[in-house]
This record gives sequence, C-alpha cells and structure tokens, in this order.
Amino acid sequence: MVTIAFKDLAKTNAAKRGMPLQRISFTPHPVWGKTDEQMYAYLEGNDPVSGKPLMKEVVATLTSPVTPDEAKTGTVTPPTGAPSFVGSADELQQQFLDNGMTDFMPILLPTREKVDAMLKATSHKPDEVVGKMTPAQGAFPAWSYTVEQVAVNAVMAGAIPDYFPTLLAIGSTGISALFSSTNSLVSAVVINGPIRDKLQMNYGIGAMGPFNQANAVIGRAWTLMSKNLDGGGVAGETYMGSQGNMINYNNLIIPENEKDSPWMPFHVQKGFKPEENVASFFFGFNITQGQGAKGLGMKPIPHYHEAMSANVAPFASLFGALFIVDPLVAKGLGDLGYKTKEDIADWLQKNTLVSVKDVKTMLFSGLPRGPQAANLTDDMMIPKWPKTDSYNFVVCGGQTNPYHQLANMSYRLSVSIDKWT
Amino acid sequence: MSPVALAGVPALAAKDKKPDQKKPTAASGGPKLEVLNPRGLPPPITLIPMAKRLDTLDGKTVYLVSDGFPGADAFLNQMSIWFKKNMPSVTTVYRLKAGGFADDDPKLNTEIKEKGQAVIMAIGH
Repeated sequence: MVTIAFKDLAKTNAAKRGMPLQRISFTPHPVWGKTDEQMYAYLEGNDPVSGKPLMKEVVATLTSPVTPDEAKTGTVTPPTGAPSFVGSADELQQQFLDNGMTDFMPILLPTREKVDAMLKATSHKPDEVVGKMTPAQGAFPAWSYTVEQVAVNAVMAGAIPDYFPTLLAIGSTGISALFSSTNSLVSAVVINGPIRDKLQMNYGIGAMGPFNQANAVIGRAWTLMSKNLDGGGVAGETYMGSQGNMINYNNLIIPENEKDSPWMPFHVQKGFKPEENVASFFFGFNITQGQGAKGLGMKPIPHYHEAMSANVAPFASLFGALFIVDPLVAKGLGDLGYKTKEDIADWLQKNTLVSVKDVKTMLFSGLPRGPQAANLTDDMMIPKWPKTDSYNFVVCGGQTNPYHQLANMSYRLSVSIDKWT
Repeated sequence: MSPVALAGVPALAAKDKKPDQKKPTAASGGPKLEVLNPRGLPPPITLIPMAKRLDTLDGKTVYLVSDGFPGADAFLNQMSIWFKKNMPSVTTVYRLKAGGFADDDPKLNTEIKEKGQAVIMAIGH
C-alpha cells in the first residue's frame, strides 16, 4: 500500500523491478501527521486511484486469482529511443524538450561532429563504460553509460572539450545530482588542483554565481547527466522533492581558492597531492549565508567560530556541515588561533552543543546510540555531531568581505580528474 | 512511460496511456540534422510472476509490515483494528522491516514464510 502522492513512482518502480502489474492499493496522502481516526477513515473510504472501497480492494488483492499477464516471465529491455534522431534544429530542440532530456532550457544539439570533438579530450574509448547511476541508491535499478553518452550530455550543456575529463570524473562516481527524495536535496562538487586555472574557473568574486563559463556549464552538465544517464529527474516518478530546489539547475560548483587560502586544500586533506586535479562530492540539504549570527559583531576580529557554531546548531544531524569560507574568514580564524581546518573543526565539535530535549523534537536528528544512550536526560547538552569529520571547510571567494556560507551537507568521496584525461 | 509498457505488456500499456497534451511547438524550418541520443543504458528487467493467491483470508495470518516511513506504524495499527472489527477470523502480526526502505529483510521474509500466509506492506509518508 502506498499513498497517492507516490502513485507513478510505485507503479513505475514495480515495473522496473519486474512486476509491472503488481497489485498496489492507494490511500489519500499523507499518512504522516494524521490522527488515528483520520487514518481509520482512509481505510473505510475508497482507494483514490481505483475509486473502489479500499479494504475490500486489499482483501481482493490477496485473494483474487493471478491472471496470465501477472504470471508472465521472461526478460524485457526497457526502451530508451533510437541511437540518433533526425530533424531540423527547432524540431530537435522540441523533441529533446518533450522527451524530458533537458533542464527545460535550450540545449546545444549533440551532433556527431560536436560529440567527436568532445571525445578527443580524453584518452578513453567512446564505448568504455564510465559508471552506473541511479536516481536513488537501492530504490531504482542503476543504469550504465559510456564515455560517448557522457560526451553527448556535455555537448548539450554547452561544455567545451577541456571540461570533459572533469565531467567524466563526475560520471565515474555514479552520483546523481538529482537524488530522488521528498526532501529536495542538493549536490555539490569541490574542484581542486591546477585544472581550476586551466579551465579558467572562478574561485574569486561571485564564484558560486552565474559569472563563469566553466563553473556554470560543468554544473549544468551534471544535471543533464543525472536526467539522461539514469532515467532520473522525472517529477513524480524518479524525482520526488516536494518543492524542488533551484540549485538543481546547475548544482553547487565550488573551485577552492587555494591561492589565497591559509589552509591545506581540501583534496590534500583527503590524501591527494597538491598538483593532482580532484573532484570532491557533497550531498544534503540547502546552503545559506552566515551573516547575522552572534559573534560576527565582535571587535576587532569577528568571532567567526561562534557564528559558525550558532549557524549549524539548528541543522539536521542527518547531514553534516560544509562551510564555504571567504579567504578573509580563513585568515581571521587563523588570527583567532585556528591555524588549520582541523583546529576549527575540533573547536566546533566540542562547543556546538544541543540539548537532548531539543534533539528529541527535531526531525532528521538522532540521539547517540550505544551504552551511553541509557544515561541521557533531557537537560543534558550533547555535541551536535559526535565526530569532527562532520565539519568540512572549503575556501572560496573574492575577499570583498569576510563572509562565509554554510550548507547542511555531508562529504561523500573524492575522485581523480586526471584519470580521465 | 507506462509501467506496463516498460515491462512488456503492450496490450495493457495501451489502456494505461495518458492522453497527449497539446503543447506549442517550435517552428520546424531549416536543414535536417542528426543528433545523438543522450540516454544511458537501463539494465534488462526479469519479470517476476506473482505468487499464488489465497482462496480466502478467513483463519489466516496476515503480516502487516512497515517500510519504516513516519506514520506507517500507526496506519498499520489502524488496519489491524479494522481486521478485528470486520474480519475477526484474520490474525494480524505487525513488524517493522529492518534496514532502509529499499533494503531487503531476509530474516523477516523467512518468518513470514514460516508463520504467515499473506503480507501487506505500507506505506510511505
């Protein structure tokens, strides 16, 4: 049984798992937050999809004989269309739009000539499988895709061939930027290494805004890849974010400002060499700005650490904290004694405390498990996150003011871009 | 795409088809181009036949299994009450499936096969 909000998802996913006629009964939506009386009324009412009395239908589901179609066996390959399409430019734009292969903005048409030019930017063969991707791990079967299929999406997004190895590195992770959750989640990739300058990425003024070709196009390509390479991004079927998120248009692309940062670059923290080119992935809720928090008005040096702590206290602990700090903030924290990213992470972990009582009332936040759980009382203060690695820092910005932004996002993994040149 | 079309039941797919929506279309002039399909490669689907159904639920044990989403436990509790009122010969057993919503729970599956005759899984949000 499923609520009606998930009608298309439930039916489509059952089909993808080999049960296209699975008997599913539906209730009104939602169940969560309803009283016992309201839920019982659901049971006494009709299935909003079939219009039939719900429990009568449920009983029939379990007792009416299986039909020949329901007993069918065999193997089916889901159709994804012809290898190529022919038409005028306008017709093809419309066809891509109508078939859900775009982000609803015009694309560059992926002609053979443009795709071949993209393929020249990597030593990998066009038919090599890059990875497997699914709109939600465990919920949908993963699709695989080749170097050429990533190239097609890269062309559509407006990428120049120099961007292609970075897009292949992103594709190699199998991480969809359009993760299907009701939570309207967002994805981020941090870029480190000399490739940031080779691609003329912006890690200075306005780095996370629409002010640079590489930043914009790499992010857009990731969204198109997440729609086309895994069948994702179909609202109501393979995307369920209740409100959606505008960051999904081209994601958070964060080239680290290594030049102006007093701290170790993020990829070096993860074991890579400074000269390596690396993409590091984050995933979670939204991003916001840190201005206004207590401590920022302190003189002569704002107490950035106190502000950061206040900023993240209301976060859901399901995901961690990612701080994107202007170089001026990193230097200011250094002046306050936090010389490394580890120093400030350690302070935040020890000093960002929440009450047990508050945690109990928060959604997507949990109390510590294990033997100590039995000793927790409502008035006790506990660390927001039990480990320092829930706090991550990337330096990015143009030093027009000492500001930071923060995301309720967790680090996932880092991969080499150089491997895909 | 129709779920039934996806798994190869074309006759039912025709029934399931949504009416085409009329949309404004772009002008269609200009030279013809050939462009490549951007889609990846879905895995083949192995069709799973449904289990044989029961003749009746009278005297049977029905497992009510929560997938772990908020409210599923309370909803299934109401369903248990409904069975007691309307089909008192049915025994219901509530269980919370282990793991995330998409994870299998082999231990529970074994228990149901040994002790139950039917399962109702619910519900999600």
